[in-house]
Amino acid sequence: MDKYLVSPNPHVHAAVSSDSLMRDVIIALLPAIVVSVVFYGWSELLVLAVGALSCVLLEYVIARWLMKDLHLFSGSSALVTGLLLSMNLPSTTPWWVVFIGAIVAIGVAKMSFGGLGQNVFNPAITGRVFLLVSFPTYLTHWEIPGGLWGADAVTGATPLGAIKEGLMQGGTVQDIMAANGYSYGQMLFANLGGSAGEISAIALLLGFVYLLVRRVIKPHITLSIWATVFVFAGIMWLINPARFTDPVFNLLTGGMILGSCFMATDYVTSPMSDKGGIIFGVGIGLIAMLIRYFGSYPEGVSFAILIMNAAVPLINRFCHQKKFGRA
Amino acid sequence: MAKTTFRIGGVHPDDAKVSRGCAIEVLPLPQTVYISMAQHLGAPAKPVVAVGDSVKAGQLIAEAGGFISANVHSSVSGKVKSIAPRKDIAGNNVLHVEITVEGDEWAEGIDLSDTLVTEIPGDRAAILDRIKACGVVGLGGATFPTHVKLNPAPGSVAECLIINGAECEPYLTSDFRIMLERPKEIVVGAAIMKKVLGDCRCVIGIEENKPEAIESMSKAVAELGYPGIEVLSLKKKYPQGGEKQLIDAVMRRQVKSGGLPISVGAVVQNVATSLAVYEAVQKNKPLVTNVMTITGDCLPVEKQHNYQFRIGMPLSYIAEYAGGVPEGAAKIISGGPMMGRAVANMDACTVKGSSSLLYLSEGATKRSEPGNCIRCGRCADACPMGLEPFFLFKLAKVGDMDQLEANAVQDCISCGCCQFSCPAFLPLLDQINIAKGQVLGILKARAAAAKAAAEAAKK
Repeated sequence: MDKYLVSPNPHVHAAVSSDSLMRDVIIALLPAIVVSVVFYGWSELLVLAVGALSCVLLEYVIARWLMKDLHLFSGSSALVTGLLLSMNLPSTTPWWVVFIGAIVAIGVAKMSFGGLGQNVFNPAITGRVFLLVSFPTYLTHWEIPGGLWGADAVTGATPLGAIKEGLMQGGTVQDIMAANGYSYGQMLFANLGGSAGEISAIALLLGFVYLLVRRVIKPHITLSIWATVFVFAGIMWLINPARFTDPVFNLLTGGMILGSCFMATDYVTSPMSDKGGIIFGVGIGLIAMLIRYFGSYPEGVSFAILIMNAAVPLINRFCHQKKFGRA
Repeated sequence: MAKTTFRIGGVHPDDAKVSRGCAIEVLPLPQTVYISMAQHLGAPAKPVVAVGDSVKAGQLIAEAGGFISANVHSSVSGKVKSIAPRKDIAGNNVLHVEITVEGDEWAEGIDLSDTLVTEIPGDRAAILDRIKACGVVGLGGATFPTHVKLNPAPGSVAECLIINGAECEPYLTSDFRIMLERPKEIVVGAAIMKKVLGDCRCVIGIEENKPEAIESMSKAVAELGYPGIEVLSLKKKYPQGGEKQLIDAVMRRQVKSGGLPISVGAVVQNVATSLAVYEAVQKNKPLVTNVMTITGDCLPVEKQHNYQFRIGMPLSYIAEYAGGVPEGAAKIISGGPMMGRAVANMDACTVKGSSSLLYLSEGATKRSEPGNCIRCGRCADACPMGLEPFFLFKLAKVGDMDQLEANAVQDCISCGCCQFSCPAFLPLLDQINIAKGQVLGILKARAAAAKAAAEAAKK
């Protein structure tokens, strides 16, 4: 009898692990990664490679030599952070800026809190926001897609940036849109300036659907962000279409899709309950739109997610599952 | 037929019912049986035979040791060789009656024929007495004495008798086989219990992955023609066979925390219990046999079996008869893979509630190294009681009894859904079970103190 295992129930386990979940997230990011490399070319590949490799390497170094516990190293999770960080940066970002972003994402935002599962703020967004306020020139100038084999890359502003700029100079939303020739088709299929992860809504949505089908994430957070943005932007746009951009534009531009599908849904930094997820999503949608409409930055999704990250412990405290047989 | 299921949580393990095609075979008798005095929930039974006595199969050998307890009968004919403590499957010492088998002679008055008796006795009290005398206990897992469950406290009314044919545990097929092979006896048993409960509605709940059982039971219900009995197809989801979950699935009512099923008008009995009730009431046959599945992921299908066993047969004897423990087995489980108990001792013997010998390979059962909680919330989504296992786990680790109680650790049914679905392989249920035991102890002590205080105040 001594050769058989004896332990309490359950005696079997679902075919799911932290690594398999992270693998699914990476698979979900692939369409957007492919599209961004095709449109931005080799420089984008370099940004992605530097981001991914440095995040994994830094996590390993910190876990092994600073925290002295290799159990705290989670390669798949660090890889996701690295990819998301890179996808939030313009393809023209110098490699050393990406590396500094990785240090902040993994070193400061993740490992200093205790590693996987312990951090309060989304590491990739923390890294990006740190770079945004520290190296604004590198992070706010974008290359209009020239493509992998295309020659004529032109630098310019993102649609959100162009509109903020135009409004400050006294233009109306309609004039600026017309002057730049923006269309929803472009926003869906990658033709506008922006970070790698911002350029193709369709590719990102494909990944989002994959995550839903594989039941890696639930739709509550993402859908409540979209609904809030749509309703809030819709009301403002109806009030003054010359001053405020329309709701569809707001859903398709900037980091809205990437942020709502892949960053706000990060397990560690989002609420545990469905109800909490909806509150979290509404908060992100509102804050992002307030920044876009009234703030000095053209884009507010990153800040909105970070601010709501801070509220997660509070949300968790008040939002619980409905218990069986209890009021 | 509308398919329904319970509303909170649940998981979908691979059902692996490989042995579904194995017809029930009768195990030959061993040379010796060891009959446990604690094979039901509640107080152990008290032996009424002495060493050296000759006993017949079906003869009473131990009397119920309290209100919640059950009679125990000899499963064989022979001589009582010893009455002494012996290790059960978990390795705990329990009083057993050892009987040396001599022939196979049954006690007077037991009808061993296959003739179906459909006429239900008229006297409710007589039926209850018969069920009690025959030592019938719930065979769905908890082995709660059936006569106690069928006799609700005055004032409570049974609105629905639910016959549990869900068999939601992966691998197990004994309930499935009796629903195929003895459907009419089960339906008569259900009709008897329905009568005892005052002719309430009766629903036989079966999961949709057993269409043959649904068909067979529906046919039996139609042919026997008892009014008010129906078969309900349930969506496949574990733990459908959990008492509170099944009541929710069938009646859309939730038993309050700490409450009994009867508080929402429900009584739940397993199909195997229904069969035992039939045999007790119609055939005067005490509960000394049951059906168990020999199965596992490392056992080829031709070596899998459904056996009718007698209580007290050593597990090692059954395993030997079935061809030995398979080469690749890493763990032997009595019961299903979600809630069964790992066998620490193959010399332990079958009890009334034995349901399987399940052999799992290392690949299927070995625990992975636990990692950090990634706060994915899968455990909370899976919990059929709506608890937050990740939080209870943390509270249990720091031993915060007040918060554990406030977060309802005492409601946990130990179904294992949380630990099954945790991607970080955390031993959630291990910790929660320990904490639950401590909190239940505190609740019990508090209730006792309150009772004592109330009595003191009366004086």
